[in-house]
Amino acid sequence: MNLTAKSKWILVIFSAAAGFVNGFLGGGGGVLIVALLLAVVKLHQKYSQATALLVILPLTAVSAIVYLVKGSVDWIPTLWATLGVVVGGVAGALLLSKLKGNVVKIIFALVLIAGGIKMFF
Amino acid sequence: MKIFLLILFGALAGIVGGMGMGGGTVLVPLLSFLEIPQKTVQAINLISFLPMCCVALIFHAKNKLLKPKHIWWLIVPAIAFAVVGALVADIASDSVLRYCFAVFLLAVGVWQLVVAIKFIVKKRKQKQSEITNDSSDE
Repeated sequence: MNLTAKSKWILVIFSAAAGFVNGFLGGGGGVLIVALLLAVVKLHQKYSQATALLVILPLTAVSAIVYLVKGSVDWIPTLWATLGVVVGGVAGALLLSKLKGNVVKIIFALVLIAGGIKMFF
Repeated sequence: MKIFLLILFGALAGIVGGMGMGGGTVLVPLLSFLEIPQKTVQAINLISFLPMCCVALIFHAKNKLLKPKHIWWLIVPAIAFAVVGALVADIASDSVLRYCFAVFLLAVGVWQLVVAIKFIVKKRKQKQSEITNDSSDE
């Protein structure tokens, strides 16, 4: 599928917003990238979620470098959490090829709402 | 205990992240249980997702789930504004970042829930119209 000029503008503006959010909040830009791939590039859920990682990887690397340069990194907790994330990441990638798109979405939405409420207190 | 929780929370977020759903949105609230400053949490989140992202991408490539056409329209603006966002975060206070993150999570959560519910309703309607079409054929 080829993109119209309007679609390209939408991609540029919203991915810039996703980038800003990811840098400012240290994450979360991925959700917006997935939504863009779904709604504008018209990829299916599974493909959108997988392909979004191609955008999130350089985005996160660049944000991380800024945090590092500015001295916000504490290496000890970072390394332990990273160990967990890598193990979980492998499991998640294997699960994605098996789970139904909608089940995943609803679980995810509920987890986010719970997380948001928790962070207010 | 703190080390165990760091690994556990990392693993939970990794599962979500490996699915390509922005696991960072899960790791940040989890880490906020551990009395770590918000900016440090955000840095942990960013760095921990780099290796996970690479591992997950290898799996997705093997499962042929990557569709990189048009991807540059997203990557270039996203990277440019990620730098701006990270620089703004550096001058923001931890409590401001924390509240912004909470608002962001609630907004995305509600939005995703609405999208999922709409999709289910649409599918139900499609099924029902298929059933009525089938019975009218007979």
